[in-house]
Amino acid sequence: MRFFFPDSQDQVDPMFDFVTEEHPVHRIRQRDDRYAHEVLQHRPFDGLLISKSIVDGHGARTSARYTAGARNRLYRERARRFFRLDEVHRDVLIMGDCGAFTYFNEEEPPYSVAEVLDFYEYCGLDWGVAPDHIVFGFVRDGDPIPDEMISEWERRLDITLNNARLFLDEVSRRNCDIVPIGVAHGWSADSYAQSVSDLQDLGYVKIAMGGMVPLRSNDIVSSLEASSGVRKPETELHLLGITRVDEMRRFAQHGVTSFDSTSPFRQAFKDDTDNYYTLDSTYVAIKVPQVDGNASLKRQIKAGKVDQRAAILAERSCLEGLRAYDAGELPVEQALQRVLDYEDLVGVKKTREAEYLRTLSARPWKDCGCGICEEAGIEVIMFRGSERNKRRGFHNLAVFRDRISRNGFHSLQTTGEHT
Amino acid sequence: MTVSDQAVELRLPALAITQSPGRVLYQFAVDGKLLDDFATVSRIRRDDESAVQGYQRPESLQHITAIRKYIESDAPMIPNGIVIAFDDRVRFEPSVKSDTYSVPGEIVIPVDVSEAPELRPGWIVDGQQRTAAIRDANVSQFPIPVTAFITANEEEQREQFILVNSTKPLPRSLIYELIPGTTGMLPPSLARRKISAELLDLLNWDSESPFHWRIQTPTNPEGVIKDNSILRMLDNSIIEGYLYNFRDPVDGTGDLEAMATVVNDYWTAVSLVFPGDWNSTPRKSRLVHGAGIVAMGFLMDAMCDRLRDENRLNVDGFLAEVSLIADSCAWSSGEWELASGTKRKWNDFQNTSKDIQILANHVLAAYRNSRRTR
Repeated sequence: MRFFFPDSQDQVDPMFDFVTEEHPVHRIRQRDDRYAHEVLQHRPFDGLLISKSIVDGHGARTSARYTAGARNRLYRERARRFFRLDEVHRDVLIMGDCGAFTYFNEEEPPYSVAEVLDFYEYCGLDWGVAPDHIVFGFVRDGDPIPDEMISEWERRLDITLNNARLFLDEVSRRNCDIVPIGVAHGWSADSYAQSVSDLQDLGYVKIAMGGMVPLRSNDIVSSLEASSGVRKPETELHLLGITRVDEMRRFAQHGVTSFDSTSPFRQAFKDDTDNYYTLDSTYVAIKVPQVDGNASLKRQIKAGKVDQRAAILAERSCLEGLRAYDAGELPVEQALQRVLDYEDLVGVKKTREAEYLRTLSARPWKDCGCGICEEAGIEVIMFRGSERNKRRGFHNLAVFRDRISRNGFHSLQTTGEHT
Repeated sequence: MTVSDQAVELRLPALAITQSPGRVLYQFAVDGKLLDDFATVSRIRRDDESAVQGYQRPESLQHITAIRKYIESDAPMIPNGIVIAFDDRVRFEPSVKSDTYSVPGEIVIPVDVSEAPELRPGWIVDGQQRTAAIRDANVSQFPIPVTAFITANEEEQREQFILVNSTKPLPRSLIYELIPGTTGMLPPSLARRKISAELLDLLNWDSESPFHWRIQTPTNPEGVIKDNSILRMLDNSIIEGYLYNFRDPVDGTGDLEAMATVVNDYWTAVSLVFPGDWNSTPRKSRLVHGAGIVAMGFLMDAMCDRLRDENRLNVDGFLAEVSLIADSCAWSSGEWELASGTKRKWNDFQNTSKDIQILANHVLAAYRNSRRTR
């Protein structure tokens, strides 16, 4: 089972100073910063997923995360060197797609087949996904199919299948060595199976299952089951955007050999409670917002409702308290009290006292060997600024890798423990 | 201990300057660490009757950090003083009798740190960030000059606050032209741009450079290529392109001579391939316009690695490569035929990041395609 990590230009600055909150004056983003595979003890993924929409953007260009300079360098150096996977991690597979989630609202995919293949070729990718259009909706066996939706769903399936055909033609016309991947979409187990069958007829042996992110695990499994009826033995399936480690065994039984997901990373700073992974549990991160970086706090200071000096002092006391607790110089109750005092001043809807106490008492970062926690200590558990949040995200990726291994999948190349 | 026990008087040598009838300024020096004891920053807020009280904005922590680091450096000097408005609890005692405009004496400030900040006699009209930086700095003391006036009238204080804080910042171009000659500590945002400003300087004054006297700066108004376009082009390459290789990641300096050589070689080739367009003005030729300079800068980076590997990183090497795209360009007449099948009139490119990107994509694609078919 191969795990692909979708790139969103997430890195950490190894020279970031947690105490002064400063980067080196002359730091250059990306080039001086480090990716997950450069700071973790073990590489957490088998592959990278690069989306055209993240690199190039489209329409309103809201989705592009790359500067023009970075984009040009990606094309010039090609992905393997750009991501610094050219020396020690040569076995990482690099896969490209269009990021269909960023344009699901539009009539049609914003890119032509030729443009997409240009992008894959410029980047020098190993695998390339044909441009697809997501179908949103799922109807279980026996449920009525809503008439008003069906024509739109079919229209989107037609676009996807037609693009898959054109994409395959273009790949062979240009004679490029990218492994083409077709995307199966559907609104039911049977329509997913039909997509798989159609793509196989076109000649695809690698098929990505798209639009499954909102589906329940059982619906994914039933679609995979239905597809098993038509799937050829050599056909390999990829699940786009699906994590669900606990279900991996069931997925694998139906031909799934790879998947991708950002959720272990994103939960570090998007989730309400599950911010820090351990092998068997998750912990909430301790929120210590930056007086100068928190928009609502800034507004309150400007309005004269919160005294800026008091806020700065409470923030400092909170940070110092947490560090002193980590060093064994302050009892947990006192460190927690400082967090709660700051919470009071900032104003929160609901206190997290109990969850914070659980996190602090367990000190999960103390016995983690991911490569980040040893360096960052208690900073990794603070919900504060991207340097700490992304470090926690990288830590989660490392734990996620271990969770996959524990579930019996030992395909990760760098673990040294694969069978 | 009673409150009155904590009240002391601070007496500081001062000069009273009568600036206009009835307007007297007091100048003195005080350890910046003591400012908090007798002066406060009144922040704007609404009182219970919704009337605006006070008049100050919140501290900018980033700005404070930059000043603080400067104060902690080897030999800091802050010549511009803090401006404080005192209420009439503060008084001046002349040491000599004099009827000239300037009289020496002592300023006497009552200090009672047990009082709430807003009740302190001094209000800081200008120098809020400097005051905070001195307070936070890891130094034992830092004397700072103060200019003060005494009035019980809050409107007078507000008037001064508005006058002091509505000044216009220096134009960016002037700052960039001054940077290369600056050896002291620069704030981080400027320190980062020092290297490209220095490189620009080198290109403009070097008689061998195709940019010789052609970059417009405050002291070279006859130049036709905007300094900002050149800075963007150089910054792009220093951050993402070939010039990055000549940068010292530790202190942010760079091998300027080596950088200038590459830039000069490339743009010499450009000027030879497009002589008419190069010797024109931005209005008549998009090549020397911001869009052309920045887009062609990306092309330079696209060529450098390859030419270095082939040991052709010189004017001749660039000349051969730049010639490949000559037919795809319409710098000063005709139309650009873009890959999407659309056409654009020669001058239909503005200095926006979107247009620059379209133009850059076009020249980069033209270069890629011509290499592929050659």
